[in-house]
Amino acid sequence: MSAFAALLFSWVLQVDSPPVKGKMLHNFTLQQAGGAMYSTAQQTALKGLVLVFTCNHCPFARLYTQRLNQLARRCDTSGMKLLAINSMDTLVYEDETLLEMQKRAKEETFQFPYLQDPEQQVAKMMGAGCTPQAFILWKERGTWVMRYSGAIDNNGQEPEHAVSYIGAALDDLLSGRMVRTPYTQAFGCKIYYRNNDD
Amino acid sequence: MQRKPAQQSKHMSNKDEYERAAKKSQPKRTFPQRLTSKQSMSVQTTRPIFAALLMLCGKTTVQAQYQTMRIPQALYGKEFKLTLKDSFRQLRTGNQTITSGINGDFWGPTLFINKGDTVRMDVLNKLNDSTTLHWHGFHLPAVMDGGPHQVIPPNTRWKPYWKVTNQASTYWYHPHLHEMTQEHMTKGLGGLIIVRDSMEATLALPRTYGTDDIPLVLTSRRYDAANQFVYKNSAYGDYLLSNGTPNATFTLPRQMVRLRILNADIERGYNLGFSDNRTFYVIGNDGGLLEAPVSLTRLPVYVGERYEILVDLSGLAEGNTLDLKAYNSGRSNSFPGGEPGTSGVFGSLLNNTDFSVLHIIVGARTSNPILNLPTTLVKQTYLKAGDATNTRTLNVTNGQPANSPFRFDNKLFDIKFINHQVIRNTVEKWSVTNNNVFGHCFHIHDVQFKIVSRSSGPIAAYETGWKDAFFISRNETVAFVARFSDEADPQHPFMYHCHFGNHEDEGMMAQFVVAEPTQGTAEQHTPAKFQAYPNPANDKIYLTSEDPSSQIYYVNVVNAAGKTVMMLPQPQAGIEVSNLAPGVYFLHITNQRDKHQSVITFLKR
Repeated sequence: MSAFAALLFSWVLQVDSPPVKGKMLHNFTLQQAGGAMYSTAQQTALKGLVLVFTCNHCPFARLYTQRLNQLARRCDTSGMKLLAINSMDTLVYEDETLLEMQKRAKEETFQFPYLQDPEQQVAKMMGAGCTPQAFILWKERGTWVMRYSGAIDNNGQEPEHAVSYIGAALDDLLSGRMVRTPYTQAFGCKIYYRNNDD
Repeated sequence: MQRKPAQQSKHMSNKDEYERAAKKSQPKRTFPQRLTSKQSMSVQTTRPIFAALLMLCGKTTVQAQYQTMRIPQALYGKEFKLTLKDSFRQLRTGNQTITSGINGDFWGPTLFINKGDTVRMDVLNKLNDSTTLHWHGFHLPAVMDGGPHQVIPPNTRWKPYWKVTNQASTYWYHPHLHEMTQEHMTKGLGGLIIVRDSMEATLALPRTYGTDDIPLVLTSRRYDAANQFVYKNSAYGDYLLSNGTPNATFTLPRQMVRLRILNADIERGYNLGFSDNRTFYVIGNDGGLLEAPVSLTRLPVYVGERYEILVDLSGLAEGNTLDLKAYNSGRSNSFPGGEPGTSGVFGSLLNNTDFSVLHIIVGARTSNPILNLPTTLVKQTYLKAGDATNTRTLNVTNGQPANSPFRFDNKLFDIKFINHQVIRNTVEKWSVTNNNVFGHCFHIHDVQFKIVSRSSGPIAAYETGWKDAFFISRNETVAFVARFSDEADPQHPFMYHCHFGNHEDEGMMAQFVVAEPTQGTAEQHTPAKFQAYPNPANDKIYLTSEDPSSQIYYVNVVNAAGKTVMMLPQPQAGIEVSNLAPGVYFLHITNQRDKHQSVITFLKR
């Protein structure tokens, strides 16, 4: 009878404590929904990266497409880059395959790379716990340093009433200041990590 | 990293802890001051009412803007499609709250079924999480019960069915995944099931759903700073939701009205009464109508319990208002010394206060109103203590010292351990003793029982009917009798547990199987071999065996990637495969007789 629970117990959940502010992070290379590879190591000219963990099946994460497009345009004109990353387990969620990611990126006109994290390594490195969850990595002395972690803003369904947390963090960084609110609470659909020990 | 089931935090569960938690200072929470424009538009109250409420304890002045209470969609028939999915709802000013719903964004439809029918459920889990769906109060095969063993992974379909033998009453369905129950319940998963039968149909009772026959599901919620439900280290919500509606109001016709009340909260009890102290009448308990209405002015409703009441509004004029309230002020409920203050795990803005659960506006009489209270209801043949041929005793234990979860008989729930074996068709008396620091709500699966004694005093007239849940206070013993009939399944257990979501998650749960008297002497059989046809298949696939006595206990349909896509307890006739994507699948078949498992491969065109 415990076999019915096998899939459940093959998951582990990342502890959702705030990631360490100022944590230094490694470069990574992931496949884009369009097929090409994207490597952060090659982005030598960028000031920073905005990483947004998102997915196809989470209704709350799906509210943010237009806002991510706007944010991507701001990044592009500010010497930064927005990357959307899908770390959901494709065995469990059939909506999260590379093919489905490609369909969605096309249908919703994503103006940013939509990367698949099939081994969930980038999510683990970042400490991502849910979708949507945003991070800002700032290039400092040639190293990516985490300067913001949390929600994109404070109103999913009513962007006209939202206060953009990530926008404020970008304002600070692009003005040469330390981020005044480096952590906010992210919430949405949990990212469950496959337990490769099972 | 932690394993997922361990992610559920350890809730404080005892006197020391809640007292300590109550003393812990926390930021003062305030009531929402305004709703969004979208919420305001949804208010359909004929006369917008802005009532200033003076909170007795917090001395907090609040402004209540009533919202028309939602009535869950009614579904009728024998086959029901239930899709569980994540969503969000605008419950407070600002950010939306992440919720889960069934065929909607919060809670689920009310299913109307008839006694004697075989009902078939097509449950599709589109949640981000695994879950289960338990048919609370129903007598049915254990493998259909939806307890912690019937885990439905995301994107998996579960298709249980059973013949309805329960009497007309109000039942419900809710998630029951061990260590995740509180979270899933808090997010809003669940729904009512209304059983109708020929006896109830002969009575002159209100039964126009949503007009004079009103579902009323009571829960409370705590929100964090981002407007999200709190389900860790919190057992008492600060804000009431009636059918998922905050500050609920509803227009009821000036005639006899039936309310079907369910306490779907985590721990909170509701001592219900009307604001004008009018008499109302309990006509039904968890599992059936009473023999006659019971009049009263206050009715305590604890977690998991359902009561059907009649209230006569015929003496009021259209436009009059009154409130159905929880008169919880001064009641100890589970707590020694009364409900604690506003902060901590057991704290709540609602604690030790009286508060409205439904603001009632009296409306026009309907064309065929029920105006009289029936003097008698249904002739019941209740079990008596003397009918029992076996007695079991259970004790509530642990909870002390701090961080020690409550348990039954010193044993935490172990999904692989069968605590009791009951022989099929026996009547048993179970005696539950709570010589402990906290009250609990006891619930047992599979049966409706009759409470035969309470050590604290006489059994209240309003709980003399068929029950599947009861509140047991501190220093009390409650005994009930039940018949464990029909299907035996020595492998698949039923649960009994505290229905406080946090308590059952922590392990205050145990399990029993119903077995044939002769079971235990295993006979040797040659494992049955099954064949599938047609193969390849387009729409349906049939299973046969060379041994005509072979029956199938369970089939899991697994795709080529190894993911279970359908869970089919005791499938009958052809297995519907038309909704599967083309490809190779594996049928994992468990034989009924010996539970031997075999695998057949088939191709879906």
